[in-house]
Amino acid sequence: MLAGQLQGKLPASPGCARRPHRETPMTLSVRFTVSLLLSLFLLLFHTSAAGQDPKPKPENTISVRLGDPVPAQKFANPPKFWISDVIDRSGNPQPMLVLKERGGIFLDRQPTVIVREALEESLRAANLLATDANSADLVLKIYLFQFGLAQGSQLDLFGKVEFTVMVKNPKSGESLEVKAAGTSIAKTAMMKKNIQKNVQDDVEESLRDAVRNFVRGQQLKDAVGALRKNMDATPAAAPNP
Amino acid sequence: MRIVIHTLMIVLLLACAGEAANGKDTAPQFKTAEAKHFTQAEGVELSPAFGDYFYAELREELKKAKLAGEVIGEGETVDDADAPQSIVITGTITEYKNGSVVKSVLIGFGAGMRSLKMDADVLRRSDNQHLDVVHVQVKIDPRWNEKTMAKFAAHQLVKEMKEALKSQAK
Repeated sequence: MLAGQLQGKLPASPGCARRPHRETPMTLSVRFTVSLLLSLFLLLFHTSAAGQDPKPKPENTISVRLGDPVPAQKFANPPKFWISDVIDRSGNPQPMLVLKERGGIFLDRQPTVIVREALEESLRAANLLATDANSADLVLKIYLFQFGLAQGSQLDLFGKVEFTVMVKNPKSGESLEVKAAGTSIAKTAMMKKNIQKNVQDDVEESLRDAVRNFVRGQQLKDAVGALRKNMDATPAAAPNP
Repeated sequence: MRIVIHTLMIVLLLACAGEAANGKDTAPQFKTAEAKHFTQAEGVELSPAFGDYFYAELREELKKAKLAGEVIGEGETVDDADAPQSIVITGTITEYKNGSVVKSVLIGFGAGMRSLKMDADVLRRSDNQHLDVVHVQVKIDPRWNEKTMAKFAAHQLVKEMKEALKSQAK
């Protein structure tokens, strides 16, 4: 249209060599507009894609399990434990998201459930788990501070599980704190499938390490010794008012 | 001539196989090894995450080195019978220099490198006797992060520790 108007207004010239020059402004403006729109579209698409959090799907979900129970330490007078609560204190808004990159890797259950299950399995295998809260000698309340991957070097995956257990004697009401932590280093990978497998192995290994650190820890031994000592001392002291 | 070459090749192969078998069959020197978190000397400014990561790397390197049959976590119990054949590794990070990218790029030849110095003590679990003291210094490019430095430091530390303990055993 613009080209036609220009053509009409300008004096006719014998050669047709000038014609492409007259069409240039329109062609450039159209091209510029199209490029601008395309760039805007791409920018918007990229921004929206980057803003989207990965969603859990069956193909990016891993199942973390302890496997074989961890052998617990031997107590002189074995107590019966009961896990009353497992509380997430990690402050992580997405506790089931283990890895955000590469479409995300998710856990199939809450970390609190996984930790409870792992501890119960190990205590049960060592015959240290009470059947219910009433029959327990010591009640455990677990505060989970970290579960999954921590920030490591970019060369590998750094798995870390950290929790604190409040060991409480329900009869005396006295309680002591026991800390446990587990770490694991695994190789990273290029392919998504291998990354997922390595992450699973890494988290399982760090969970195993943390459970082991708790059930075989000197802190637990000392806490059980102190709480049971007080419990034994209380009834002996009672008949002599 | 051919027979001589063939015989030499067979002898070489047998020697290599023997070495490999010796390497595989060697039993770990200790029953258990416990690595503790390294403390930081005054003036060392490393992030708290560095300590955790270095501890994890150290345990991983100890497992790889097969110095002990079992690498246990910090504060785990050991049977009294195994205590004389168990070690505890403690240590201190004595110096950390952040390095300078500008110096590293402009001068080169090791200038401006990020460096870390640490001392590690290897103690026998049963009587806390010093079995070995290892001094390690690691230098890396200042553009690499401190976690990478932890990886190199752990590798270097375990390598030197293993060599020293082996030479002591001989």
